[in-house]
Amino acid sequence: MNDSQPIETATTSIQMSSGAPDAKTRRYDRQLRLWAASGQAALESARILVIPATATTTSILKNLVLPGLGHFTLMDDKVVTGADAGNNFFLDGFKSIGKFRAQEVVNGLMEMNDGVEGVADVRNIREALEIDKGWLKTFDIVVAHNVDSVILDDLAALLWPDTHLVVVNSAGFLADFSIHYREHQVIESHVETSPSLRIDQAFPALLEYAMSLPLDTMDITDHAHIPYPVILVRALEEWRREREQVSGPSSGKGVPRTTAERKVFKERIRAMMRKFDEENFEEAEAQAFKCWTPTVIPSEVRELFNLHPSSASSSTTFSGLVSGLSQFSQNNPASPQYPSGLLPLTPSLPDMKSSTEEYVKLQKLFRAQSEKEKQVFKEYLSRAQVDVNDATIDQFLKNSHAIKVLKGREWKEINPGAKELLAGKLSTHTKEAATHLALAAIRKLRAKSVISSLEYVSSPNDTAMTDILDKDKLKDLLTAEAKSFLPPAVELPEAEWLVASGEVARAPSADLPTTAAFLGGLVAQEVIKMITKQYIPISAGNAASSTNDQLGICVVDLVETWTGIL
Amino acid sequence: MTDVQANHDWEGRYYHIDQILDAPGPRTDEGFMAGDGVKDFLRKQSKILVIGAGGLGCEILANLALTGFKDIHVIDMDTIDISNLNRQFLFRPKDVGKSKAIVAAEFIMNRVPGVKVTPYFGKIQDKDDEYYLQFNLVICGLDSVEARRWINATLVNLVDPENPESLKPLIDGGTEGFKGQARVILPTITSCYECSLDMLNKPTAFPICTIANTPRLPEHCIEWASVLEWPRVHGDKKMDTDNPDDITWLYTVAAGRAKEFKIEGVTWSLTQGVVKNIIPAIASTNAIIAASCCNEAFKIATSSAAYLNNYFMLIGIEGIYSYTFEHEKKSNCPVCGGESVSLSISREMTLEELIDLLTERQDIQIKNPSLSTPTKQLYLRAPPQLEEATRPNMFKKVSELVPDGGEVTVTAGTLPFSLSIDLSFT
Repeated sequence: MNDSQPIETATTSIQMSSGAPDAKTRRYDRQLRLWAASGQAALESARILVIPATATTTSILKNLVLPGLGHFTLMDDKVVTGADAGNNFFLDGFKSIGKFRAQEVVNGLMEMNDGVEGVADVRNIREALEIDKGWLKTFDIVVAHNVDSVILDDLAALLWPDTHLVVVNSAGFLADFSIHYREHQVIESHVETSPSLRIDQAFPALLEYAMSLPLDTMDITDHAHIPYPVILVRALEEWRREREQVSGPSSGKGVPRTTAERKVFKERIRAMMRKFDEENFEEAEAQAFKCWTPTVIPSEVRELFNLHPSSASSSTTFSGLVSGLSQFSQNNPASPQYPSGLLPLTPSLPDMKSSTEEYVKLQKLFRAQSEKEKQVFKEYLSRAQVDVNDATIDQFLKNSHAIKVLKGREWKEINPGAKELLAGKLSTHTKEAATHLALAAIRKLRAKSVISSLEYVSSPNDTAMTDILDKDKLKDLLTAEAKSFLPPAVELPEAEWLVASGEVARAPSADLPTTAAFLGGLVAQEVIKMITKQYIPISAGNAASSTNDQLGICVVDLVETWTGIL
Repeated sequence: MTDVQANHDWEGRYYHIDQILDAPGPRTDEGFMAGDGVKDFLRKQSKILVIGAGGLGCEILANLALTGFKDIHVIDMDTIDISNLNRQFLFRPKDVGKSKAIVAAEFIMNRVPGVKVTPYFGKIQDKDDEYYLQFNLVICGLDSVEARRWINATLVNLVDPENPESLKPLIDGGTEGFKGQARVILPTITSCYECSLDMLNKPTAFPICTIANTPRLPEHCIEWASVLEWPRVHGDKKMDTDNPDDITWLYTVAAGRAKEFKIEGVTWSLTQGVVKNIIPAIASTNAIIAASCCNEAFKIATSSAAYLNNYFMLIGIEGIYSYTFEHEKKSNCPVCGGESVSLSISREMTLEELIDLLTERQDIQIKNPSLSTPTKQLYLRAPPQLEEATRPNMFKKVSELVPDGGEVTVTAGTLPFSLSIDLSFT
């Protein structure tokens, strides 16, 4: 469980000096523990456009209004029907029927949080696309639910790449959605890996300290309080020196490699105990693997060095920081103080068996080394004229082992996706791909006006949609569309397609309250990750990775209750 | 308009839901009564109980009301706090201090015409079997393990093989930050809450010697202030973690200790988080999990589609990762299994040590248990006379009290079941 923020960073900036938090901090306490004041500030300055006012988009907005989104505009030119009044919690029951849908929903949502600005726009999106292009691009994110392909194509082309587009599709129990961005950079990814303590490449001050302890003669109580990293560094160094005596000088970097060597090494640690119950040595034995886990730059981070080549003309702060990191890791062969092939040392230590004094002493050693390395890093930044404040540098270095740069896809690339790619997905992710095809097919049919009567019309003379279009006929139409998305020789998977097309044909225009609420949570969560630049949103993979087989679509089936990524 | 208001089912109201209820889908059971049969059952006959009107509960109530459940009951013993408002969307600042169950019920009835929500402001333990027997389904949105174990055991005990109506499906949801889970429990048929007790995260506990002698983390200083300093300074006065003055006192004391030991990071907010054991909570995760719970309730109540078998786990930190699987029933589950738990302990172990072991074991977790064998009482918590009479046993070896292979029955006041253990000695 490592997805919570250290609280000191979470609240200091909006906490009163007396200690006790103000009303706003108290209201947002449970989320500040996840994304901190920085994430909250980002959320409060974000602007979002949502089209149109369906049960699903209303649910998405609910989960953004509650945590305190800055601004939203809800665009919809329709009036509330009986069907809307039945499946949207933020309409006022039948009293809303006949009034503008956008306005009624905005009224309902705004009751929840007066810190949020909400605007109803009762124009049709087509109109805005014609006369208000510039305004559409002022939003950070645009969310569209069950919008026809033709409009989506225009909207997506206009917004790419600066305003991120979120496309959500649903029918009955099935849904999928995708986020369209070119690249998304995350410093605070909150992934559950901790930075290396560099046991295998101890920095000089730590090595010196570990070797200076008179293990056999020191006070027995102090002996039982030596922190395990110190024990490991000492044991490893002694092991290395013995090996050099036997097999001649080496690089001084060897580690126990074979199972037998490792077993003997653990026994060596156990033999260092002076009393049978020294828990710190037991901990050292349990952590001995850290000696032979080489401290390296995680491959995902290394890949980024190629994505953002070291050059003086770094365009953004982020690429400047990555470039500085790259230089730090490559350009220090001469000085053992700042070894090459490593990321700058992180000052934070995990808890361990130790006395307060020994723990604080170790903490100071790590902080001092970390500070030195930070200065070297900062020199690279200033040489490249990267203008960045110390707080950002600290944040970046603290997370440097876990920074992420994701790539997304443009809408036209996944509507519905390249034929060969889809064919591949049908064999590797059969259920997900079949569901995606069925939803893409119904969207196509809607755009072609083959099934124009999908919208509920509140005229008593109108027969229900289910009577107009027989389900088997609809399934055939869906199948024909889906086949057109695939290479000629590729067949649809029989069982999975029967399920996916059958579910869509059963409820082609149903915006079910539970599916809407489920999507409301999922999509809002991803939007929050995009806005706060914290945690990791869905993507088409790592930006620096050469593989290109991910579409970046999240697929949902609420009959068997699963989600998947295509 | 009066006609519409009288029956509340205006034209088109169920346009979306009825696409599901009017015809079967590819994964619908044969017993599904498409059309009026199923609509009538859902809207006129079914009765559902929601336990918890907090983060999940608010969402669950709104979803159920829109889905067509019209007779909903809700139990919650809590009152509304300002920190609930970032996600418990049926509450407003003016409601702070009022009963969650009552405010939520009123809100739903005002917003969704024709839905009756009956609140109970109190504990689930106040209600008897008769009460729980009236419902078709139970949905839980709780943050307490203890309450979940209680309702789970109660619903399992309720099952009478002669009477199919006595089997009440239990749908349980839980969240923590970006993580959550939803599951369907068919008492006595599928794995129950007790079967999966060992899946819970072990609560962080700091050894008392660390707190007293060798603090290293800010949390150690806060624990020192609340566990050791509070009772020393305040005597019998109980700490109120909802009172900002008490938190401020703890914060000041913890900050002083941290300064003395050169430890950084004690803040008011961390102090509050540690002493109240605060779990981060957001609207979006609650929405996902509550939606999933209600979706299962809808499918089970209507037989309109297959339902979750039986566990859905979601992690939203890195992309969207979820895992749907069948959690298996445990044959020696103390609640729904037939077999007893086998435990092998040292011949030297005292009864007190055995009790510590039972408290700590992830798959048992029984706090303050009483122990007996078929022939004698080993240790009883109450009444005081019996506690006193059995207390000397605590320091005796278990092997002196129970024969090898003997059976020990463990009970606890908070749990409506007993655990049977076959003891052997090594």
